[in-house]
Amino acid sequence: MKFNKNVVLSAVAILNIVLFNGSAFAQGSLVKGAFTKKAANPMQENTEQPPALIDPNIERRDISESDIDTEDIEIGIFGGFISIEDFESSEVVGVSLAYHINENLFLEARYAQATAGQTSFEKLSGGAPFLTDDERDYTYYNLSLGYNINGETFFTDNLVFNSDFYFTLGAGSTNFGGDERFTVSAGAGYRLLLTDFWALKVDVRDHVFTSDIIGVEKDVHNLAITLGTTFFF
Amino acid sequence: MKLNTYFLFVVVIASVLFSLSAKGEDLLVSIVEPYVDFRTGPASEYPIFHVAEQGESITILKKKTGWYKAITHKGQEGWVSAEQLGKTLKPNGEQLYVPTGSFEDYTNRTFEVSAFGGLLESVNALSVAAAWNVTGNLIAEATYTQALGDFSENKLWSIRLQHHTFPEWKVSPYLTIGAGGINTRPRSNLVQSGDEIRKSDFYEVGAGLRYYFARNTVLKLEYRSIIALTDRDDQERIEEFKLGFSVFF
Repeated sequence: MKFNKNVVLSAVAILNIVLFNGSAFAQGSLVKGAFTKKAANPMQENTEQPPALIDPNIERRDISESDIDTEDIEIGIFGGFISIEDFESSEVVGVSLAYHINENLFLEARYAQATAGQTSFEKLSGGAPFLTDDERDYTYYNLSLGYNINGETFFTDNLVFNSDFYFTLGAGSTNFGGDERFTVSAGAGYRLLLTDFWALKVDVRDHVFTSDIIGVEKDVHNLAITLGTTFFF
Repeated sequence: MKLNTYFLFVVVIASVLFSLSAKGEDLLVSIVEPYVDFRTGPASEYPIFHVAEQGESITILKKKTGWYKAITHKGQEGWVSAEQLGKTLKPNGEQLYVPTGSFEDYTNRTFEVSAFGGLLESVNALSVAAAWNVTGNLIAEATYTQALGDFSENKLWSIRLQHHTFPEWKVSPYLTIGAGGINTRPRSNLVQSGDEIRKSDFYEVGAGLRYYFARNTVLKLEYRSIIALTDRDDQERIEEFKLGFSVFF
């Protein structure tokens, strides 16, 4: 890759600012934050709240808020079927990474790949393939915003799991037939939390993009039905 | 089906990330308010099944968004809201600090991740950005934009600085300046071979408006003007408008 000298210099300068000042500032703000937290309620601690009972014989470990295990990130794999318009249905496998913003909203990135089959024309005419083998590789990624409808699933009186039904809306790109196309995706799914950090998911998602692979330009719908497992950490 | 190396790479990175996530230690807090509600799940929709009373101590096990899983002395396990847990005391008598995604938490953020949808010269464009809050006024940011049009596929990356003059305002204007690169590839049906990819460096200047919307989310409206340093005689000017949102840590 050819770089302009000025661009490289300015990039290095910005990187310098980030690396050397950034960490110092970040530490500074952390320390400042801790002090302001302490100073925030001096009156309250002295007047309203009785001092905590401390057993002097027990040596207390200093555990702070930052030691709490946070499980807002969900990472997973999925597999299933995708119906590629005009090109049969194929197996699809992929990975997903999600960040849960709050109890209802989450952001999810997905990457998946499949291999497209043949059009009916290619099969019936018995020759003249539309696409090369490389062009039949169907890969896509998208970034979606999801909304959880929280709930519980009761299998029996005593076998109860937390679960949620969710909707997603997103955008991304599909690489198929030698081109990359802007793709809008929408779908719904069900997440069954077997434990706090392990879930099973069923997803139905439609991927829409404009394609002219078979000659005429049209919006194609590629519906994927997948089963997946995710872990929170 | 054949798996490509990129896919395997993602899986490996993911498993490394997963194994790196260390388990935190348990924190014991005492309740000073009249009571704390225990719910069956980490959301306000879940029912309250237990109430821990004033004077009791509970152990915090983990956190999921704004909810904390806690266990009582008697072994009752449930989810407590950040709002209620923020009024409990740590063993040293200090009030427990819990981030609630408030505007104050936003001003003290370190990292911010954004996603945008917009138009790059009338072509649909999708952008992602990761930002580092350096001083509160100055923010360093890396961006990636993809604009897939009818005639070409454009991919842009840039490194830039944002300057927020009034970061304490809920609606806050900012200016950006940066440098990056653009890759342009014509559509496969318009060219015969795939060698027509054009690469150029560019400088960008822009302005934006940021609005703290709600818990943990921020809305952003942005404009940037890009001057691409092409190999041809004249430089190319590209404009981009985008609307998006950010989450922060």
